[in-house]
Amino acid sequence: MKRFLVVPLVLAVACKPPTAAEQMDSILSWVSTAGMAGDAWLRHTTPDKYTRQTLELSDQTLLQIGADLLKSPPPSIDSAVLDSVLTRSRFHIAQMARLVVEKNAPDFQKQLDSLRLDQKLVKELAGSVGSSQ
Amino acid sequence: MKKIFQLALGIITSVGGFLEIGSVTTSAQAGAQFGYRLLWPILFGTICLIFLIEMSGRLAAVSKHTIVDALRERFGFPFFFVVLVGIALVAFMVLIAELGGIGFALQLLTGISFPLWALPVSFFVWLLMWKGTFSLIENGASLLGLVTLSFAVAAIKMHPDWSGVASGLLPTMPEADKARYGFLTVSILGATISPYLMYFYSSGAIEDEWDRSYIPMNRVIATFGMTFGGFLSMAVLVAAALALQPRGIQVDTFPQAALLTTTALPRWGFYLFALSMLFACFGAALEISLSIAYFFSQGFGWNWSEDLEPSKNSRFAFVYTLIIILAAIPLLLGVDPIKVTMMSMALTSATLPFAIVPFLFLMNDPIYLGKFRNGWISNSVVAIVILISFALALISIPLEIIGG
Repeated sequence: MKRFLVVPLVLAVACKPPTAAEQMDSILSWVSTAGMAGDAWLRHTTPDKYTRQTLELSDQTLLQIGADLLKSPPPSIDSAVLDSVLTRSRFHIAQMARLVVEKNAPDFQKQLDSLRLDQKLVKELAGSVGSSQ
Repeated sequence: MKKIFQLALGIITSVGGFLEIGSVTTSAQAGAQFGYRLLWPILFGTICLIFLIEMSGRLAAVSKHTIVDALRERFGFPFFFVVLVGIALVAFMVLIAELGGIGFALQLLTGISFPLWALPVSFFVWLLMWKGTFSLIENGASLLGLVTLSFAVAAIKMHPDWSGVASGLLPTMPEADKARYGFLTVSILGATISPYLMYFYSSGAIEDEWDRSYIPMNRVIATFGMTFGGFLSMAVLVAAALALQPRGIQVDTFPQAALLTTTALPRWGFYLFALSMLFACFGAALEISLSIAYFFSQGFGWNWSEDLEPSKNSRFAFVYTLIIILAAIPLLLGVDPIKVTMMSMALTSATLPFAIVPFLFLMNDPIYLGKFRNGWISNSVVAIVILISFALALISIPLEIIGG
C-alpha cells in the first residue's frame, strides 16, 4: 500500500517547476552561448546563418526565462538589477544578430565587449542565487 | 587474409558507428554540467556493451539464430510479443531522434530549419534501405562516421587534466544537482547499452553467414570496436567539460552543442561537428530502421534480409518503410530531437531488463550454445547489468521529469 502512496508523491515532487537557481543557470548559459557564438563568428569559424540563428535563439530564450523569473524573483537578488542586465544583454545580442547580416565586424566587436561585461554580472547574480539556496 | 580484412573492417566500422545522437548529446550535457564526473557511466556502459555484443555474435555464430529468433523459439510468442512492443517503441523514439539529428546537422550546414529536412532525410534513408545491401549500410555509413574521431582530436588539443579525467572514471556524488546527475547517469547508460545494437549485430552475423570459426574474430571486434567507441564518447564529454563548462554553457539545444569543437579546432571545428553529427546520426538511423525491421520480421517468422530484393521480403520492406514515414511526422511538426533523445535514452534504460534477462537465459542454454555457453565472468557482468538496469528503470521516470 505504501508503494502506491510513494509513487504519486515522488511524481508530485518531481513535477516541480525549475528553481530560481536553475533559471539563473539557464540565463548564464544563453548569454555565454551568444558570447561564444559571437567570438567564433569574429574568428570566421562559423557561418553567418548559424551565428544569426543562434543569437536570435539566445534572445528569444532569454526573454522567456527572464519573464518567468521576474514574476517571482529570488529574494537574494535585486529584481531591478536583474531586469536591467537582461534588457541590456538582449539588446546587445539583438544588435549582434543585425550586425552579422551587415557583416559589420568592428561594431559587432563593440557589442560583444559590452555583452561580456553583462555576462560577468549575470555570473555573479547566478552565483548569489545558487549560494543562497 | 579475408578474415584479417574482415577483422580490421569490423573494428573500424564499430568505431565509426559507435557515436550517435544519444551518446553525443548525453556526453556533451554531462561534460558541460558536471565536468569529468560522469565519465564512469560511459566506462561502465562500454564494458557491459563489450560483453553483450560478444554474446550476440557468439549466439549467432554457434546456434545460427539471431537473438530475436531464439527468444521467440525459447520463450514462445506471447512472451516475445510483450518484449517486442516495449523495445520496438523505444527504438522507434530513438529513430525519431536520429532523423532529427541529421536534420539539425543539415540546419547547421545550410541554415535551413530542421523540420524542412524531415521529408528529404527520411526519403534518403528509406531509399538507401530499399536499394542498398547490408554491407553498404554496415560499412559505408560507419566508415563515413570515422569523422567523429575529430572529437578525440579536439579533446586532446585542449590539454585535459589527465588526473582529473582518471578520477572521473570512479563514481562520485556531486554536492548539488543530484537529481540531474542521476538522470544524466541513466541517460548515458541508456545511450551506451542500446539493445538495438545487439539485435543489429546478431542479425548482421547471420547476414554475413558467420560460423564457429568467427568466434575469436567476434571477440576481438566486440572488445576493440566498443572500447575505441567508448573512448570517443569520453572525448565528447572531455571536450564539453573544457570548452563549455568554464563558460557556464549547458547543452539544451544543437546550436549550443555545435560550439563544442570551435575552441580546439578553430578553422574546421564547426564543420567537423556538423559532419560528425550528420554521418553518425545517418548511420544510426539506418541501423535502427534495419533493427526494427529485423525485430518484427524475425519475431513473426517472415522472410528477412537486407540483401534480398524488397519484392522477395515485402513485409520486411513494409516495416522499415512504415516506421520511417511515422518517424518523420513528429519532426515535421517541429518536435525537439534533443528532448526526444533524452527521453528515449532514459526509457532505453527502463527496458534493458526486458531485453537482457531473457538473453541471459539464452546464453546459458546448452541447446543453443553447447560448450560455448556463458562462463561465470560473462554471467556476472550481465547480472550486474540486470541489477543496475532494474534500479535505473525504477528511478529513470521521476528523474526524467526532474531533469526537465
